[in-house]
Amino acid sequence: MSLEQVTKADQPVTDDEAMLVRVQREDFSIDEELRRVRRRSKRIGGIAMFLGTARDRSKGKDVDSITFEHYEGMAQKKLREIRERALKDFDVIEMLVLHRYGEIDIGENIVLIIAGAEHRAEAFRACKWAIDELKQITPIWKLEHTPEGEVWVEEHP
Amino acid sequence: MVTVRLFGMTKMLAGNQGTLSLALHDGKRVKDLVAMIEAAYPKIGELLQKKKVLVSVNQDIAHEDLEVKAGDEIALLPPFAGGSR
Repeated sequence: MSLEQVTKADQPVTDDEAMLVRVQREDFSIDEELRRVRRRSKRIGGIAMFLGTARDRSKGKDVDSITFEHYEGMAQKKLREIRERALKDFDVIEMLVLHRYGEIDIGENIVLIIAGAEHRAEAFRACKWAIDELKQITPIWKLEHTPEGEVWVEEHP
Repeated sequence: MVTVRLFGMTKMLAGNQGTLSLALHDGKRVKDLVAMIEAAYPKIGELLQKKKVLVSVNQDIAHEDLEVKAGDEIALLPPFAGGSR
């Protein structure tokens, strides 16, 4: 990410801010991402985290691996919107939203939300809202590889 | 000519093409685009009619009356399924 990256409002964002919303192929380190959120403010006193991982069953069927496809540009835009709305509508100090794409093996990390607030209640609330919203508005699709073939997942739970 | 990006099951239903090129003239709207896709790819058309597949223009979900201009970034978006349970 470069310093020249701009948000929708054409406001320059810093490298650190750009790292708080990412869609990437590689796995991530939860410790590293937690550190990234914690160093944003010493006022953070409660951190809630949601980590989504790849299950080996879906609707009663075995799943061997999952491929995530995303709409480059729009996916990042929607994740930025989620972070911005969380910071505006909830009493949270910082939020990180990260989603992987490409082929993901069973048990691997898929999505990470970290909400840092002064107190736990708002951190939990914002974290839950963000992952629910992500599933509603983010153009990311899931292809499950099963012993019977490949299935595009239509509905999110 | 407009280019429509395809994802997920819409890509599969169009024979694994990543994009469709359609001869859509100036002044036409999203609903005209939908009619053209319906004629060429009835299965995608059915999903568009049921609103299971949405049209986005310039990375926002578009209303059927929105006018499509040359150079617009258009995509067909099947139901999202990001994240995990």
